[in-house]
Amino acid sequence: MKKAIGAALAVIALAVIASSAQGAPKVAVSATAGYSCSKSITLPFITPLTGGAGFLGQEQSSWASYAVKTLAPGMHLKVKLVLGDTPVEQGPAPAQALAQKYIGDPSVLAILGPSTSGGVAATSKTFFAAKLAHLSPSATRTDLTQGPVAQREGSPAFFRDVPGDYIQGPSDAAFMIKTLHVKKVVVFDFQEPYSLGLAAAATTVLQKAGVSVSRLSAPNTTTDYSAFVTKVPNDADIVFFPTQKPGDAQTFAQQMIEQGKKAKVFGGDGSNDPSQFKVPGSYVSNFAPDITGIKADASLINGWKKANPGKQVGSFGPPSYGAVQILLDAIKIACAQGHGTATRAAVFHSVKKVRINNWILGGTFRWSTKTNDPLNAKFYIFQIQSNGSYKLVG
Amino acid sequence: MDTFIQLTIDAVTLGSVYALIALGYTLVYGVLKLLNFAHGDVFMVGTFIGYGVLQELGGSSSPKLSVWLIIPIITLAAMGGCALLGITIERFAYRPLRDAPRIAPLISALGVSFFLENSMQLLFGATPRNYNAFNFGNGYLYLKGFQIHGVTVPLLRIVTVVSAFVLMVALWFLVNKTRTGKAMRATSFDREAAAMMGIDIDRVIVFTFVLGSALAGAAGVIFALRVPTTVNIGFVIGLKGFIAAVIGGIGSIPGAMAGGLLLGFAESYVQGYISTQWSDLYVFSGLILLMIFRHQGLLGRPDIRKV
Amino acid sequence: MTDSTPHGYHSTAAEGPAIGQDEWVARHADAVVLPGILGVAERRLRRLPWWVWLVLFLAAFSIFPVVESSGYVRLVAFDTVLYMLLALGLNVVVGWGGLLDLGYVVFYGFGAYAYALLDSPHYGIHLTTIASVPLIVVMGAVVGLLLGLPSWRLTGDYLAIVTLFALQLFQTITTNWQHVTGGPFGILNVDPFDLPGGHQLAVQHGGIFAVSYLYVALAFFAVVFVALRMVNNSRTGRAWRSLREDPLAAEAMGMPVNWLKLMSFSFGAAVAAFTGTLFAAQSANVFPLSFYFVALITIYTMVILGGSGNQAGVVLGALIIGPLLEALRSADKSRYLFFITLVLGLLFAWRRSRALGVVAVATLGFGFAVHAIAGAIHSDWVAGEHTGGFAGFVDHWVVAPAHLARWLSPVSYVGVIVAALVLTLLRGRVRLVLLVPTLYLAAFVWENVMLSKPDAARYIVLGVILIVLMILRPSGLLGERRVEIV
Repeated sequence: MKKAIGAALAVIALAVIASSAQGAPKVAVSATAGYSCSKSITLPFITPLTGGAGFLGQEQSSWASYAVKTLAPGMHLKVKLVLGDTPVEQGPAPAQALAQKYIGDPSVLAILGPSTSGGVAATSKTFFAAKLAHLSPSATRTDLTQGPVAQREGSPAFFRDVPGDYIQGPSDAAFMIKTLHVKKVVVFDFQEPYSLGLAAAATTVLQKAGVSVSRLSAPNTTTDYSAFVTKVPNDADIVFFPTQKPGDAQTFAQQMIEQGKKAKVFGGDGSNDPSQFKVPGSYVSNFAPDITGIKADASLINGWKKANPGKQVGSFGPPSYGAVQILLDAIKIACAQGHGTATRAAVFHSVKKVRINNWILGGTFRWSTKTNDPLNAKFYIFQIQSNGSYKLVG
Repeated sequence: MDTFIQLTIDAVTLGSVYALIALGYTLVYGVLKLLNFAHGDVFMVGTFIGYGVLQELGGSSSPKLSVWLIIPIITLAAMGGCALLGITIERFAYRPLRDAPRIAPLISALGVSFFLENSMQLLFGATPRNYNAFNFGNGYLYLKGFQIHGVTVPLLRIVTVVSAFVLMVALWFLVNKTRTGKAMRATSFDREAAAMMGIDIDRVIVFTFVLGSALAGAAGVIFALRVPTTVNIGFVIGLKGFIAAVIGGIGSIPGAMAGGLLLGFAESYVQGYISTQWSDLYVFSGLILLMIFRHQGLLGRPDIRKV
Repeated sequence: MTDSTPHGYHSTAAEGPAIGQDEWVARHADAVVLPGILGVAERRLRRLPWWVWLVLFLAAFSIFPVVESSGYVRLVAFDTVLYMLLALGLNVVVGWGGLLDLGYVVFYGFGAYAYALLDSPHYGIHLTTIASVPLIVVMGAVVGLLLGLPSWRLTGDYLAIVTLFALQLFQTITTNWQHVTGGPFGILNVDPFDLPGGHQLAVQHGGIFAVSYLYVALAFFAVVFVALRMVNNSRTGRAWRSLREDPLAAEAMGMPVNWLKLMSFSFGAAVAAFTGTLFAAQSANVFPLSFYFVALITIYTMVILGGSGNQAGVVLGALIIGPLLEALRSADKSRYLFFITLVLGLLFAWRRSRALGVVAVATLGFGFAVHAIAGAIHSDWVAGEHTGGFAGFVDHWVVAPAHLARWLSPVSYVGVIVAALVLTLLRGRVRLVLLVPTLYLAAFVWENVMLSKPDAARYIVLGVILIVLMILRPSGLLGERRVEIV
């Protein structure tokens, strides 16, 4: 009996394995293999959809799928968005498995993501070896595109349409110094790459300008910041709080008020969400002005809202729309170049030729000539008003 | 001095939530000798039930009733919902394993935990839900309170601590002064003997789960009033509650209460005075040492093996 | 032929041997033999020595990537081999030593980080593989010994708790000790393995996962399997068995109980550290979060599913769960798996009885009827997204509306759960009657609710597998009948 069950289950196991193999090509896909642009192109999106960072991936994928649905027909392309989940709790392994999966799929000409800097570090070289361009809407770690070539974590196949931490950290710090005339700042980090990078960058600039900086480090799973608030000196001017969860910024700011601390909370782009973070007097920095204020985006936003009832426009979503736009443009250029056939190598070389005039985040999108980052990216600083709205101040 | 008072207030607030969750763990361990890994996720479901009912009542920005009515209503709703969930879990995931080797219900609990967390993720998505208690009367709950030595104790924290205290007193009463409570204590002491004495074990166990899960639901609402909730917090906060139960002595009710408060104090003071970054390191190292030298916890019974 | 695999012999007695009957007799008596040629085949197969099975298995696994050149499939196969190795190691601690070790992945992480520190630009050391891997295995064994020391004073649940704390501690240290472990940024650009001649084993060629790593992993697996088997058949293994069966009696008989527990920790840790080096070399990066709860619970699931205490069992468990988790990511494969499972479940519940046929036909008919009615009411209700193949066929049977109303997801989901639970309480004909709409509702929920988010659905499936497995067969597929926590 046991043997029978064992045998049956072994059969199932093999069936599962066999069915996993189904659809996978027999021959490895070459970077110069031509793919007809009239066939359906697969655009995979590698992002965390479950787990602690799931809210990020879910917001991004809603904008990415909206982009694919609205932009692809206009470019005469048939594009299918495929989501690949890389929960942060599992480290790089899911990203690597997904990388292999998509590299082996001939209908994949470019990749969206990985959304996490760790995911990019784990897969970028693999993508470069396969000449697959991959564009991330949120992996902002500096070392991915900057620094000495040998130590760079990203590869030449990695692109991003949002500026890196090397811009946000110093520009936030510069604002604090020049406009807010701070003397004492508390800088937080949350023991994960995004905040550590920003905290380090901001601290360097602040200390060089003679500001007294004290550092606090909270585990990523912290929900109650009361004990941390007690460590904020009473005479601190600003608390730099680069969290990825706007709700945490709100909690922290509320607890600051509760304990009577006069320092204002300064959040990064991860805390940009007027529906969640709305304590008046706080600051938020973002790589884009409030896109609901950009007239050219009005119809876009309305369309997205209709497709996603009840959801708010956050800051992680629109760059994903932009990322899809860039990749589709690159594919279109490659298709035109190849007279109806595109190759991965062609798409890879076309990415940097893309230039978008009505960029969703405002203005024009252009690539920097030196790195795979956007050109002249700047950060916008907002202050939360007493009615909860964000006002541009820097 | 201010810092000390503030940290103590934080400690008590945190500790009350941990104590309520720890009680759930300890009650179930007492009667079933089972580490109920799914308890943290029942807590998480409680936070969502509270959120749902709150939204039905208009949410914190446009409440249809007075805040002093809304909070008890959502607490009772969460308690009821979680009690129902607890009964279901017990009936279908643990009862069939009553006489199986000890590892079986443990794994089943793990399965239930996975199931609950990911079902909530599937149905309600990963965005955090915020009760936005700050909006009740424009920060009324945060800014009004009474003063100790110049430090304000806001109403919200008072609500937290008092509710937890009231619930713990009610629990103490139920366990020590009613017949069912007596039956529960007997069952946790020696299940077979209790059965031979004519106690209906199934009913006692159901009663235990109702109590434990209801407390978790209440803890959920109390917790979520101050802090946003997601589908993943069940794991983190459940772990903390479990640690609190272990510190106090798993199986001992006063132990769970003491353990919860102690953990709150430990976390608060370590973070406030020693180091925020390494607070986990100190707390867990201390716990390991505690377990090695006094494995039954502070108030637990050392188990005597009869040969 | 004594080995730890009870070859499918079914003792007709209740749990464990009857009073007066010893274990060997209980295991080998009352053999259930199938008639005819199947019986002959079964008897022949049973006489095959274990190493023949191992060689056949390795051969099948080795040919597989030659047949299948997709880098994805090879990487999934590699990950599965990693899981098999980890399951073998955990089997030593949980299955043979009887210790509930909730901190097992600490050793895995230790091995990976140690390799990353010894073979990467982090400290600039680039030790050759032949030197670093055995060194790390030995260090892993020592760490296992150290971490097992609390077992000297603690038993059962308390040991589980302490090992859990150790896992948390490991996570905190690796996340915060940035100088040494790189913190959340991890250690990057870890060297791949190098062969004695100085030739490096590349992890990928042109982006595709290299098959050489799969073979290295299989070699590791063979070595570990054989080594552990030898340990289990030695005095230590027999001592472990007696420790599991009755720890008090074992102690009274003069066995060095504490030392035995430490040995099982140590062996398990060595295997995990060995696997960690393999993982670090292939992954080329090491991050703290790879060695936390998700990994732990996945390995435990495999060990429990396969049957702890039985090496072949845990390997089978890994073989099932590993690819299953990966396959469930894609909606198409999930659909296949769901219906296969449904059919197999029905087959096992009602083997060849009339009830099975009745239920199957009734469900199909019911489904088509509901589909037709729904389609008649509003064509949008049965729009369905798929046209061709199996998915298209399913869409003619299941109601797949174009837009799912927001309230419908939670309500139907909870409805299916409630219906399934109620079914377990009923008996007889009522149960059969209620089974039909429940099956249909389950298909509806799967198709519409769960396939829209396959990533969350995966873990729901895992959770359900664990619960159902424990209720129906707590000893796992090939496991021993009782595994007590010592």
